[in-house]
Amino acid sequence: MNTDKNEIFTQDQKDVLQEIMNIAFGNATAELSEIIDIYVVLSVPDIKTINSENLDLYVNNLIDLKKNTKIIEQKFFGEYNGAGLLIFPDINNDEIVTLLDYSDTDSIDYLEQVPVNEILIEIGNILIGACIGKITDLLDTYVTYSPPDIFSSDTSNKFCFSCNTDKDKTGLVMKTTFTFNGKNIEGLLLLLASNDSFDWLKKALDKFMESYL
Amino acid sequence: MIKHILVVDDSPIARRMLIKSLNALGSYEITEARDGQEGIEKFKTASPDVTFLDLTMPVLDGYEALIKIKEINTKAIVIVVTADIQPKSIGTVMGNGAFSVIKKPAPLETVKNILEKAENKLKDMQG
Repeated sequence: MNTDKNEIFTQDQKDVLQEIMNIAFGNATAELSEIIDIYVVLSVPDIKTINSENLDLYVNNLIDLKKNTKIIEQKFFGEYNGAGLLIFPDINNDEIVTLLDYSDTDSIDYLEQVPVNEILIEIGNILIGACIGKITDLLDTYVTYSPPDIFSSDTSNKFCFSCNTDKDKTGLVMKTTFTFNGKNIEGLLLLLASNDSFDWLKKALDKFMESYL
Repeated sequence: MIKHILVVDDSPIARRMLIKSLNALGSYEITEARDGQEGIEKFKTASPDVTFLDLTMPVLDGYEALIKIKEINTKAIVIVVTADIQPKSIGTVMGNGAFSVIKKPAPLETVKNILEKAENKLKDMQG
């Protein structure tokens, strides 16, 4: 698979991106933990540039897509544009509903009213929004968002990873995996930056380096 | 007086950012380590006065490295510098003997303040 095109981003730019992703995801998990009282075990982020045509293969190599795989997507638009994807490869509905604290509610009625997909969309919205928000803050820009959407492997509404980048072009993938501590829930967060962001992104990363290094 | 500082972080950019601040604040001997395991080894050989420690790292994470450093020297001054600012993460490392936790990216003023506190702690320990 043609993954790295080192000429697009310098090693310094990739190192900065990795650290920014680390900071952004840490910020996002802190926000999530405030809302649903969950502790997220983080991993070291990974940065790759990947040809659009290889993106589906890249994701398939990362995770074993199952019938119950759920993918929450939220697109963002601006100088920095692309999509955030929160992937739960093997979702268990019973585990997901335990993420929310219903102690102050009539829990049985409330559970019946809140579909699992809605909970996942909200988690995706918080994590992707906080993550992208921190990145735009650090890189001094502004984006707007599409509403989050959810895709399931067991429906006709299947997800096309490569559709998020222009055909025959290269996308930037920032990946981090995580686990909800004490729950049997693992996930993967991918931030895809589209090719037409690259010129701006490289300048923004250089500016970040100048200000911090 | 703080003379020797160990900076443990897998991100070369994060190390450079912190070391830039340290160099702006004083003339310190600085040792770098790229993960928790290397951090422990460098801690043993360098005996730093203060250690700055990241949490999310490959090979050995900062949580484990902190425990092992404190086993080597219970009085070690370890400042955790992390993007993982979840209350439980902060509570865990403080419970395991971290001197303080600062959030990434740490502004110069924050590094200055924490170094002053570490300096005072070091003076107290040296009597």
